[in-house]
Amino acid sequence: MIKFEHVGLRYGVGPEVLSDINFILEPGSFHFLSGPSGAGKTSLMNLMFLGRRPTRGLVTMFDHNINDLPREKLAPIRRRIGVVYQEFRLLPHLSAFDNVALPLRILGRPEREIRNNVSELLEWVGLGDYKNALPQTLSGGQQQRVAIARAVIGRPKLLLADEPTGNLDDEIGFRLMNLFEQLNRMGTTIVIATHSQHIMDKFGHPRMILDSGSLKIEAPKNWIQKKIQGVF
Amino acid sequence: MAFRRKERKLGVSDGKRRYDLPLNKDSGADFLVLLIGLMTFLALMTLLGSFLLSSVSERWSSGLENKMTVEIPADNGSGSMRSREDIAELARKTALKLKDRQSIHDIKILSDADIQALVSPWLGEDIAMEEITLPGLVSVSLEDSSEALLADIEKDLKSIAGNIQIDTHQSWLADILRFTGALQFATLAIALIIGVTTATAIAGAIKSRIAIHKKDVELLHLMGASDGYIARQFQRHALIMAAQGAIAGATAGIITIIIIRLIGGSGAAGLLPDLLPSPIHITALALLPVLVCAIAVGAARRTVLKELSLMP
Repeated sequence: MIKFEHVGLRYGVGPEVLSDINFILEPGSFHFLSGPSGAGKTSLMNLMFLGRRPTRGLVTMFDHNINDLPREKLAPIRRRIGVVYQEFRLLPHLSAFDNVALPLRILGRPEREIRNNVSELLEWVGLGDYKNALPQTLSGGQQQRVAIARAVIGRPKLLLADEPTGNLDDEIGFRLMNLFEQLNRMGTTIVIATHSQHIMDKFGHPRMILDSGSLKIEAPKNWIQKKIQGVF
Repeated sequence: MAFRRKERKLGVSDGKRRYDLPLNKDSGADFLVLLIGLMTFLALMTLLGSFLLSSVSERWSSGLENKMTVEIPADNGSGSMRSREDIAELARKTALKLKDRQSIHDIKILSDADIQALVSPWLGEDIAMEEITLPGLVSVSLEDSSEALLADIEKDLKSIAGNIQIDTHQSWLADILRFTGALQFATLAIALIIGVTTATAIAGAIKSRIAIHKKDVELLHLMGASDGYIARQFQRHALIMAAQGAIAGATAGIITIIIIRLIGGSGAAGLLPDLLPSPIHITALALLPVLVCAIAVGAARRTVLKELSLMP
């Protein structure tokens, strides 16, 4: 589904921030993306949500070669990707409701469907009473939940989240991780960038570890055991 | 209505009035509306001028085409003046001479009253015809105004009186038509410049708004919004501003025309057309605000698409 082959990225004429990245994300997989600050997590996420094209190597997403695809054909692919940005990137003049509704409006869904789905999801993330609140009147944790709701409302095939539980208390954080797992069970491929060892240990999914622009993938023992049990 | 109000209370914005980008809250919109209003006003007055010049040209050229005036001068060519009776007799002979020609459609000997009406703008209404000997004038409609025919007629009329003159108006008419044509070209060029200036001003304003909302535009782009979807946000904003400006400018233009009509009267003694354009021209002027809106929407779309093409 998502395949990176010998991918490199540099900004302008600077040094490569990502070099020779290789991985395959199978449909319905769940990965954590981890690594020290400045290792290139944001750059890799940028490539995955099509914010940039690689300077070398080959990126294949949903059976499309991203390197050669004309830019107008990238929009439908982007609609299949949900992104939770670290800095939330909510539109400040829109209410929580309208922020969450945005992906559905871009998809051209009917207003009735939008009203039902958005209200339901806002209730689910605990913001049912804040539908008409502007982002700047919400706390950091509430803004993050709006950002997460916006990322998942369109049932994306791929969900990328950059530190989605960073500003949340443990209870809400675990609740949102459960939402991600629920989405994953429904077939959404998920990549979560996080520094939280606690979250990674508790949910035990394979880890993509970036260090100095290079990537290695590690799977916890219990995950491998689960997979083996699933196969046999 | 109550249902919609309840929805808005819940934070659900009105679908038709919703802006994904807060373009309606940007400063500088009033200035652009004022600029579009002024441009519309100028374009309206310029086009009106062009249409009036067109009417003048048409009136003069159609009124004088294939026509000539035979003038029997008041003096007999040897220094003494002809009597009014002599002039009338020469005019009658001229008419008789021309009557037999097949190439002549119509002949009219202008009466003293006709001549007085013609000269009154220059000499005043109160002239005493008895005191001034006016030339005799015979208005003639021709089948065509070829040089050969005119030369033949002139030769024929010279046998009546040696100093009879014929005037086909062609020499001065050609000059005036050339002049009005040049003025018309100038007004259309000005209208074109106004259109280009309006489009440039709108493109500049849209460009600055894209710069202001770059992060939000980028976000929509990364969420998978098509270029057309993002462009429509700016197009709608440009359309609203252009409609406000164009309607205000057109209204100011109409009021100005009414005031000019009230102050200046109409027609300027028949030389100029009335300051009320023809139905076709009124339709064209009424479509001007629509054209301004189309220019605004087109300029906005082109600018946004150009800026978005720089994004991956």
